[in-house]
Amino acid sequence: MNGISRVLVANRGEIAVRIIRACRELGIESVVTVSEADSESLPAKLADRAVCIGPPAPMQSYLKVDTIVAAALGTGSDAIHPGYGFLAEQPQLAEVCAAHGLIFVGPKADDIRKMGDKLYARKLVGGLGVSIIPGSELVCHLGEAAEAAEMVGYPILLKAAAGGGGKGMKIVEQPEDLRTLFDEASVESLSAFGDDRIYVEHYLPNARHIEVQIIGDRFGNVIHLFERDCSLQRRYQKMVEEAPSPAVSPELREAFCEAAVRIAKQIGYENAGTVEFLLDQDQDRFYFLEMNTRIQVEHPVTEMISGIDLVKEQFRVASGDSFSVSQEEVKLTGHAIECRINAESPNAGFAPCPGRINEWKPPAGEGIRIDSHCYSEYFVPPYYDSLLAKLVVSARDRDQAIQCMQDALASFVVSGVDTTIPFYQFIMKHPEYLSGKINTRWIENSLLKEYEENEGNQFR
Amino acid sequence: MEDAFMEGIDQDDVIQILRMLEESTFDELHLEMGGLKLVASKSGKKASPAEGMKSDDGESTESKVAVEPTVQAREERPDIPQPSDIEENGFIAIKAPMLGTFYGAPKPGAPPFVEVGRLVSEDDSVCIIEVMKLFNTVKANVRGRIAKIYAENGQMVEYQQPLFLVEELEGPAEMGEEENAS
Repeated sequence: MNGISRVLVANRGEIAVRIIRACRELGIESVVTVSEADSESLPAKLADRAVCIGPPAPMQSYLKVDTIVAAALGTGSDAIHPGYGFLAEQPQLAEVCAAHGLIFVGPKADDIRKMGDKLYARKLVGGLGVSIIPGSELVCHLGEAAEAAEMVGYPILLKAAAGGGGKGMKIVEQPEDLRTLFDEASVESLSAFGDDRIYVEHYLPNARHIEVQIIGDRFGNVIHLFERDCSLQRRYQKMVEEAPSPAVSPELREAFCEAAVRIAKQIGYENAGTVEFLLDQDQDRFYFLEMNTRIQVEHPVTEMISGIDLVKEQFRVASGDSFSVSQEEVKLTGHAIECRINAESPNAGFAPCPGRINEWKPPAGEGIRIDSHCYSEYFVPPYYDSLLAKLVVSARDRDQAIQCMQDALASFVVSGVDTTIPFYQFIMKHPEYLSGKINTRWIENSLLKEYEENEGNQFR
Repeated sequence: MEDAFMEGIDQDDVIQILRMLEESTFDELHLEMGGLKLVASKSGKKASPAEGMKSDDGESTESKVAVEPTVQAREERPDIPQPSDIEENGFIAIKAPMLGTFYGAPKPGAPPFVEVGRLVSEDDSVCIIEVMKLFNTVKANVRGRIAKIYAENGQMVEYQQPLFLVEELEGPAEMGEEENAS
């Protein structure tokens, strides 16, 4: 790879494994940063070298920009891949990399900063003729929030300007609830992002979350790799993702894919990114939601239907090459579904369940892909997120993919920690999921209750 | 644990099982008997030993099978020199409080903070660790005589990497002093 011979992988868990494997296939050496809690992890074993950067707490290890750059320089790495989460969307890391002649495998610091500001992104996208959800500018106090809410119409969504991951986000159904929820949103936003700026958006009760994978090179070219439907969420956390979306016509697909490319081209976006839309199923219209300036957890779904290795493409464009394919060569083939297998107890309100995995036997076979850092006897540390594995299947069509997912889930053996596998088994058999008639609120509004009532009979 | 391990199966049995695996066409072996779990693999999945460490018989580890009795192996994994390897009989290691570049002297050309044989007490500076132009002075935090210097000037050290080995100075008088001081 032109200009990249050794990469510092500044992440952990399954994505670190994923990046290390891509490096190996590209003939790039990998150095992985580990906290004390991860010094025996699978990434540490797979990488050419593991470097201990600090104690388990992320604030003292994976989130320390200076330490990570010092580790890159000290190990003779010429690039840093941030994965997702941690420092992936911190413009400082991209900036410090540039200042030290290191290649940041991701977008330019400026693009991260621009798209990270949700209000800026709304303005930019609105100016390109892409619909944005009716909403306000910043609201500084309750009075302004109430005014804005009247203007866009209840129900409304309070959102953090610096937002992400559902933090600082509140649905307000009626004016009476505004006071309490406004305060809650401000406090949450301040503690999550150090920024309590809030804005108001009209809330769409029957929407799907559709996102378009794009990738740009430094010559101004941008291509899309179609959409992922990530409507199955719990507390704004995605649980199941699939591609293509079962609720989208070819015309609609063309329209939002084109919009995504237009947005990325406008800012001269480089590297992999995702443009998120909400699809209002009551009106069959889509609205820009936000742009994520990183490789995403659910990227394998896109890889399965396009046959394109996104992490390798990231390295290509970061090293100054263009993509390996043209837009015309990107073909959507078959159907793919991903379930995020978490160490959580679905029978106990999805409480995180860290600890020692006794037995780990992931399914294997035609069309099954597992992205994971787990193995039998692995200790799931309590300091990080609870993702154990991404179970991804692909097949000729949606029905066959669901069938494959059902079989894969049934043969997935994990003991020692609770996992979300039984919950996914419940989803994969549910008539409303099978018929594709769901929205972003479906899990929380109806499925959870059904699961609680059913699991007693069905899973014991 | 050790006893349970030895009861069902002994060292010779393990060696014999491993020989059978090596001669077989299989890549992996999983054996569970009561409290014992034996996982052996031909592909050399184990991390390569750290620099300067040799496998006990000096053979290449490439085709060697790695044996991992369930719980014991975890503590014994020889990836990084563990403090327990070097800390014994009154010796204690001063470890890096952060990842960064190690400097043994306050500035280039200056005499080093410490040398082998030097006596240090808790508050004495022993080195500097630089993280992106930020210079952090590391204190000994121990009273004793510098027995070894592990870290090399200008080299990157990892978090908790042993930098110095100190021979702790004990004795009733000094212990008493310490107590008075605190």
